[in-house]
Amino acid sequence: MAEPATLPAPGGAAEASATPDMLAHARLAADLKARRARRARLGNLGAYALLIVIAMITLYPFYWTLITSLEETGNIYQAKLLPSSVSLKNYVEVFTGTTLPFWRLILNSVAICLLGVTLSVTLAALAAYPLSKMQFPGRNLIFYAILTLMVLPNESGLIVNYVTTTKLGLLKEINPVLDTLRQYFAIVMPGLASIVGLFLLRQAYLSVPQELIEAARIDGAGELTIWRRVLLPLAMPTIAAFAILEFVAYWNSFLWARIILPPGSQTLPLSAGLLELSGMFSTNSRAVMAGAVITIIPILVVFLLGQKYFMKGLEGAVKG
Amino acid sequence: MTSTPRRLSRREELRLGTAGARRTARNTLIAYAFLLPFLIMLLAFHTWPVIFGTYLAFTEYNIINPPKWVGLENFRELFADEQFWSGLRNSLTYILVVPVIQVISILVALLVNRPLKGIGFFRTAYYVPVVTSFAVVGLIWTWMYQQDGAVNAVLSALGLYKGGSLLNNPSTALYAVMFVTLWKGIGYYMVLYLAGLQSISPELEEAAVIDGASRAQVFWNITLPGLRPTILVCSLMSTISAIKVFEEIYVMTQGGPAGSTYTALFYTFSRAFGDFRYGLAAAGGIVIAVISILFGILNFKLTKGGKADG
Repeated sequence: MAEPATLPAPGGAAEASATPDMLAHARLAADLKARRARRARLGNLGAYALLIVIAMITLYPFYWTLITSLEETGNIYQAKLLPSSVSLKNYVEVFTGTTLPFWRLILNSVAICLLGVTLSVTLAALAAYPLSKMQFPGRNLIFYAILTLMVLPNESGLIVNYVTTTKLGLLKEINPVLDTLRQYFAIVMPGLASIVGLFLLRQAYLSVPQELIEAARIDGAGELTIWRRVLLPLAMPTIAAFAILEFVAYWNSFLWARIILPPGSQTLPLSAGLLELSGMFSTNSRAVMAGAVITIIPILVVFLLGQKYFMKGLEGAVKG
Repeated sequence: MTSTPRRLSRREELRLGTAGARRTARNTLIAYAFLLPFLIMLLAFHTWPVIFGTYLAFTEYNIINPPKWVGLENFRELFADEQFWSGLRNSLTYILVVPVIQVISILVALLVNRPLKGIGFFRTAYYVPVVTSFAVVGLIWTWMYQQDGAVNAVLSALGLYKGGSLLNNPSTALYAVMFVTLWKGIGYYMVLYLAGLQSISPELEEAAVIDGASRAQVFWNITLPGLRPTILVCSLMSTISAIKVFEEIYVMTQGGPAGSTYTALFYTFSRAFGDFRYGLAAAGGIVIAVISILFGILNFKLTKGGKADG
């Protein structure tokens, strides 16, 4: 704890000529300090104990899934700390043992994430520019309209979006390659306009000095150039945070894909495919566990790499 | 730029005026061009569902035939349906998770707000459930809840419960699913509360400590009031998502056993994608939306609008 700088240092001049009284005081102070340090150490110990217990509760289910997916035999659902055997048999099984090839699920998820993240970040990054840095009639109206949209209840979202997607013909089957592309689009589309992303990016643009933009305009740069060369680089941390948020959302989505795609569809993303798998693999739960582990790994990697941005992005979302 | 302005001739003024107007028109066009892609998607997938969904609630619709206006018939059917009521009851019971999640997340946030070595690891560890898909989380917890699984092992070691899977028991299944929501949500709210804690000025707390306030006093009189805006946001979000709980139930119990985890949103989902009764489902959606709004208002009142000074 730092002393406020305005306070005079205690006993500055008296230091040189210490009386016995002062020594007693000093001893008392040292004693108090030691007691406080002891209490702090004890408090820290207690805190660590709690932290570890909570970490075990949040992490053990994942750890259990991992070790059980590595076992070949044994009592499958039993709680344990170490695997009874280690083999990759279940991992091989998950790739080879189904009508729905697992590598295809991975490919689908990667494609869906690439498409979804690129488009949603681009859309929000474009739309946030005029709302933060341009003057035009209707600007505030649009901004507040979008704000209001966020609180509108959207319970029929799944139903109406399903109708819209069907009516747009995205689920028709004509030609295998085009069908795949159209289905990826259908999976990605309802989430593309992210209001949270728009706000995050608008916030980031607002902190870019207006002079920078004016200078670029005087140099004859078009708005698109200004957006690409001035705003985007400066908003990069926020864009990274938002991209990670979107990646996690797209990678984890399964409900919408399960609704619009017929069962056994070749374009199912990983999370949705995993559920399909757990239905098919009623005899081999360990293979499903292996699939679950594979599904989590990319999220953990992206999350750990971008964690700094990710937390900031979330905090920015609350602070506004 | 600071040279004395010369009076412009009428002609010059006119020319500049039209050029200026042309420039603002062009500017407006550019601004809307930037906004357009976002707005189209927003209108198509956020606004249109609200409008068309509200309309559908008053129709009979199965996608194949055009919607047929039936007035309040869907609502009448809904309120006469015992299944919908039991779903609603379960949805309201689910709100029990909200205060629990707030209290635990605040405590966890206080814990990880301490400047301890390795605290980053713990924050990350608590956040892992948040970034994991409900599909995976639901599967893992279905395994955890098996009769000879980890949960029963812990509960029987503590002498709390002996028996089959909590998910197969109609009197425990809903609470078992609620626990998963809690487990997955704590990390998320922890981060929000952490942000809230960091926005409280440390000088205020230090001053109180210097004035001889105990830890508990500092917490009740400074920290907690300072967190009030965050508490409003978090309890609002968790109440609304509790009323609309779906994915956990979809993966883990499908509304069973014996309808004990059948929630209101699960009802609308089965009506739409099971029975193709989109109008009835949309009506259910409206009822759920109204209830969420009511709870939102209640939340706002209870937290005194989230004002820090109470």
